[in-house]
Amino acid sequence: MRQGESVLQRRISLGEMLDTESFTEVVKGFVELYRVGIKVFDEKGGKLADIKIGNGDFCGYVFSFPEGRRRCTATVGRVKDGPLALSHGARLPVLEPDLVPAAKGMLTVPCFTGLRYLVVPILWEGDTLGRVVFGPFMPEDLKDFPPRTLTEISEGFDVGNARPLVDKVRLAPEGTIARVMLHFGQLLQTMLFAGQKMFLTTQVHIEATLDSNRELEERNKRLEDANTRLKELDRLKSAFLATVSHELRTPLTSIIGYSEMLAEGLAGPLNGEQIDYVRTIMEKGETLLKLISSILDISQIEAGKVRLNFEPMDALELINGSLTSLKPQVQKKGVALDAKLPAKMPMVTGDRDRLRQVIVNLLTNAVKFTPKGGRVAVTLTEVQHQPDLNAPGYRILVEDSGVGIPADQFDKIFNSFYQVDSSSTREYGGAGLGLAIVKSFVEGHGGVVRVASELGHGSRFTLVLPVTPGSQQQVLITPPVTSVGPADDRF
Amino acid sequence: MQLNHAQRELTVKIVYYGPGLSGKTTNLQMVHQRTSPDVRGRLLTVETHDDRTLFFDLLPVFFSTANGFKVKVKLFTVPGQVIHNATRRIVLQGADAVAFIADSRRAAGQENNAYWKNLVENMKENNLDPAQVPIVIQYNKRDLPDTKTDAEIEETRKKGREPVVGAIAIRGVGVLETLYTVLQSAYRSLEARAHLSKTIGLTEKEFLTQVFANIDVSGTELEKVLPPRAPGART
Repeated sequence: MRQGESVLQRRISLGEMLDTESFTEVVKGFVELYRVGIKVFDEKGGKLADIKIGNGDFCGYVFSFPEGRRRCTATVGRVKDGPLALSHGARLPVLEPDLVPAAKGMLTVPCFTGLRYLVVPILWEGDTLGRVVFGPFMPEDLKDFPPRTLTEISEGFDVGNARPLVDKVRLAPEGTIARVMLHFGQLLQTMLFAGQKMFLTTQVHIEATLDSNRELEERNKRLEDANTRLKELDRLKSAFLATVSHELRTPLTSIIGYSEMLAEGLAGPLNGEQIDYVRTIMEKGETLLKLISSILDISQIEAGKVRLNFEPMDALELINGSLTSLKPQVQKKGVALDAKLPAKMPMVTGDRDRLRQVIVNLLTNAVKFTPKGGRVAVTLTEVQHQPDLNAPGYRILVEDSGVGIPADQFDKIFNSFYQVDSSSTREYGGAGLGLAIVKSFVEGHGGVVRVASELGHGSRFTLVLPVTPGSQQQVLITPPVTSVGPADDRF
Repeated sequence: MQLNHAQRELTVKIVYYGPGLSGKTTNLQMVHQRTSPDVRGRLLTVETHDDRTLFFDLLPVFFSTANGFKVKVKLFTVPGQVIHNATRRIVLQGADAVAFIADSRRAAGQENNAYWKNLVENMKENNLDPAQVPIVIQYNKRDLPDTKTDAEIEETRKKGREPVVGAIAIRGVGVLETLYTVLQSAYRSLEARAHLSKTIGLTEKEFLTQVFANIDVSGTELEKVLPPRAPGART
């Protein structure tokens, strides 16, 4: 909900519409050009401009007499705060007929000294926002100077002294001053329009920016709340998976164990057919166990519970060991398995068991997606500088001549439970966890994993691993959720 | 509505709402053209180089009632471009009635609907109850090809309770009729809420007659509705 009242909802004052400094400059220019003082007041009597000219010495002399001071204060009060009406000594100005319609609202206020003021209201959209006071000036039609109202203020008033002073005051017909005043009024209207436009647009722009900001903050808050809820649900899901996988594994291990005992004849001899059946139970049990282990791995990674144990290891031994465990599958499928390994390899640091799992996962995939008669190769490079890591490292390449992966799927295949073909009629089994585990473990070592493939012509997975992971200690693999948190307090 | 008893002043706010380029500013320009300078302010417009309203337009029209109450009618437009939603909300604040300027071409239907929803949403954000703030729909650009037929517009009218006015704002057709309808709706709603006829002695007839007393309604439907003007009245 929007808060606060907009500037569009309230009346704008004269001061808000005029830039006081530049307005004063304009008034000063006017005063110098026409030699008549100008005062501008807002509707509350606040002064926006006050430029005097010519009358200072004369008024100062009059002001030096107590009665002069009293009458002067009353006159100034009349022009500044008195009603904008034909009362309290104000009368209509004497004008040429053509000026009368435009000079609507203009008043003449005579001063007891014989000088005069013209007062005109500042009208804006039907409101009176203030007034402009012109003067004092010496009206041309004044026959007798000094009038009795001036000389009577004191017996000490010296006409001979006052006359040269009053000569400095602008002498003009009332109509001339009125014309100047109307001209000033037009200029003021233009300045007000420009000022109002700028004031309103600036204010509304600020209001709009603040309001957009408020809206964005509210939206962010909602998104943050939703994100927190989702993260919590995700954590619960991972924890649930970890528990369930663990609970599934325990009885499954017993099933496999007891089947093995049966097959080995520990409970008495079995005939050929019975042994076949029991072996099938064992094989399927093993497959199921692998799947459950993968789920357990990924759920532990996602729950942030996996620690890598770094220790010196032999990368050649790692590859050879993985190849050995793949042999039965390779033979059964009927694909060729080549290895290109360097003759010598220095010791590197890593989590041997996890890296072995990485290589086995990649090789298992390669064999799985390569048809009979195809070829799978694993390559280990020597240690050299790796631009990807900006550190010394080595690469392990797993290539196959299998079905390949469409280019638009390269990013997605590393997501948990993702499969290129997820239809119910798909050709290849699996839970879609192998590559997600590969990626987590490789990145846990500070390495990177990349894929290149041409559909129908095979795939190549490249692991780039550092000789020494950034952290020498155990590393806790963080869940693969990308989120940027606020920086910590610094001061 | 802002009613200031101390200053004896009533301000009524009308907002022209609608999609970009539907003719909101054109409506205000036409009202401005036909209104005597004695009773209106200047038309304040902030446009971008492509002649589209950037912030809003504002045209004030004012008069005094027989009881000496000053009445100001402030006509605003909102910016049509999607990105200026915050400005639309600000301009809409405190509106007494809304003139929704729709483009009557068939192709503009989706855009009209989107801005209608936006209006409803922003009214809610501003705490304006649609039951109390009347809306008048102007179907503008009736002269263009692909415009909806009268029968189709009649269908639209039947779907809601908002009055519908056809217009070709660029030629001044329907502009004053829309203004009249939206002011009438605004008055009736304010009368129901604030009893203007009792509290300040302002009747619907005086309100509408006074607003239009200094607007040149010749050649519009309003000639039949409003009392004939004194010969030689300034326009």
